Amino acid sequence: MVRVKSRYLLCEVHVTDRSRLLLLDDRAVALAVKAAVARTHGDYGAALCSIRFSVKYLNAHTGIVFLRFPKRCYKLLWSALPFITCIETRGQKIPCFLNCLHVGGTIRTCQKFLIRYNTQQLHRMLPKCKNEEEKQEVQKAILNCTLTRGNQEAFEDEFESDEEDEEE
Amino acid sequence: MRRADSKDKPSVYQRVVLKNASPYHYMKICLVLEDESTKLSAVDLKQFIISGLNNLYGEVGAALNFDLLKYDEDALTALLRVYSSGLVKLWSSLTLLGSYQNQTCAFRVLQVSRRHITRCPLCLSSEDTEDSPSHLWI
Repeated sequence: MVRVKSRYLLCEVHVTDRSRLLLLDDRAVALAVKAAVARTHGDYGAALCSIRFSVKYLNAHTGIVFLRFPKRCYKLLWSALPFITCIETRGQKIPCFLNCLHVGGTIRTCQKFLIRYNTQQLHRMLPKCKNEEEKQEVQKAILNCTLTRGNQEAFEDEFESDEEDEEE
Repeated sequence: MRRADSKDKPSVYQRVVLKNASPYHYMKICLVLEDESTKLSAVDLKQFIISGLNNLYGEVGAALNFDLLKYDEDALTALLRVYSSGLVKLWSSLTLLGSYQNQTCAFRVLQVSRRHITRCPLCLSSEDTEDSPSHLWI
């Protein structure tokens, strides 16, 4: 069997003010990418970007984005990503830049990489804890993280209340 | 690519093998404007071509290296030199250039060669050689 091949870019959105990450949504990221591609590669790039380009996943809390590009031209579209300097969402401009962490052929390999990457980051950050208590707390919080349906809804509620705070 | 197409003989297929070929391609183009009285300087022409590249290939395309070696203002004929890697980009953007200052226009590509076109039969003025001072080099 043959399938249509794509490349998935696992990118990290860097912002100065981390609380503004929550304002991001996938449409805003897609628009920013398309605008950057159109600027650097013109009509040709914009046309390539209109075929099978999509933002597959966006984690507004950690600023992780999965971008899907056609395999044929992913290098050309990738080269436009460093030119993104801000993302416009809900009438606000968030100054940011995208840092590409991994390029994968499937979402699964990207997810595996992301888990490994996050574990590495955790091991790097744990020694920075001020005391044992803090360390224990972090470990407990991680162990409590399970994705059940009920939990997810609670999480979404929390997310919405966060947004309201932002708007006030 | 020599004067094979003289009047009495039909044009003959000739295969030219180039060893140590130059990295350039040479293009002879002609600009056809709707209003034929419009004057266009060499700088205007180059700017126009760059704007076409910018439209089609963005800022990366506008940074493409090419030279305007010769330009005949009356006939609106020009000789371009471009690296072989950029030939397709330049050619396609020339094709898609459709209007100059709100009047329709078109580029006719008269000849494309890997060798300097002055040595070819269709050149602008066959006496010029590659290093003649009449070159523009914009």
